Amino acid sequence: MRILIYGWGQLAASVVRDLAGKDTEITVLGKERSQLERLSSNPGVTAVLLAEPVMQDYLLEAGVSHTDAFLALSDDDHENLLLAQVARQMFNVPHVICHVESPQLQILYTTLGLNVVGYSRGIVQDIRQVIDA
Amino acid sequence: MYIVIVGCSEAGYYLARALVTSGHEVAVIERDRHRHQLLTEGLGIVALLGDGADLETLDKAGVGRADVVVALTGVDATNLVICQTVQHRFRAPRTMTLVKDPKNEPVFEELGVDVVVNWIQLALTALEAGVPGHPLRHLMNLRQPGMQLVCVAVPPEADIVGKRLGELQLPPNSFISLVVKKGGADLPSNHYLVEAEDEIIAVTSSGDEQLLYDILTGV
Repeated sequence: MRILIYGWGQLAASVVRDLAGKDTEITVLGKERSQLERLSSNPGVTAVLLAEPVMQDYLLEAGVSHTDAFLALSDDDHENLLLAQVARQMFNVPHVICHVESPQLQILYTTLGLNVVGYSRGIVQDIRQVIDA
Repeated sequence: MYIVIVGCSEAGYYLARALVTSGHEVAVIERDRHRHQLLTEGLGIVALLGDGADLETLDKAGVGRADVVVALTGVDATNLVICQTVQHRFRAPRTMTLVKDPKNEPVFEELGVDVVVNWIQLALTALEAGVPGHPLRHLMNLRQPGMQLVCVAVPPEADIVGKRLGELQLPPNSFISLVVKKGGADLPSNHYLVEAEDEIIAVTSSGDEQLLYDILTGV
């Protein structure tokens, strides 16, 4: 399975460690060289350093047109949402997952049919439960 | 019309001024405190200090009763999120924005942004046209990813002058759509005889533009 990941922080690192191994070919796109080098030490992982701003051609170059999954896992909600929707609408990537921190945007884009992941909405609810209890 | 502009650097500022002059009611959302102060105190523009991607700020700016919302933050991704938030969280006013990455234009349109101005592309077309010689000019990106409309003027010394279009071996995804010449335009058939200085308008894919250019201008 081919997986393309946009992101280089803790979340991306955990996901890469979890998915890396036999039968997966992972390409990580990121903006920080040292983090990417660490990620590419996992088996079957290639890292690509991106410049600012991220353009669609970078995704094409990294093989978005024939990837099985695209995961937008950076800590920039807006960037994740743009790239995830590009992957879905323009390149028909079969599995697209988008990390979003803002609870507001989590709700909006879930209703728009995007596969949204993010802790903050859960955390807000958890805190409310503890306070209310 | 009531128009809300999100982001007020050059484009936002001049647009706000122009719209106010033509009698529209305009509000601007600006995140930068200093710029916000200048707008309200120095220039007399109604401006709200805040993050225009935030639902509450948009609500406070009266997006609920706006006819048009223009996202001009200078960041493609943020502009898209603003337009989508406005479309789906308010009673869908018209949304307009500028994109920097020319390839984002079709995505934004497909995602429902009403007016997408591809300003780098517009600038590129003008700059390319200003380069002496016979440059390949990008006219527009088409909705299919990587497909675009380009224009090339045939130099007098080119190999294809005097040949029929049907004889040309074009790249697989390239098609000549129109030939423009002094007298007017021609819908090209295979029998069309190419003349010097014909302007050839063609559809091509991004990877093939160089090949197409070489065929149309090669000596």
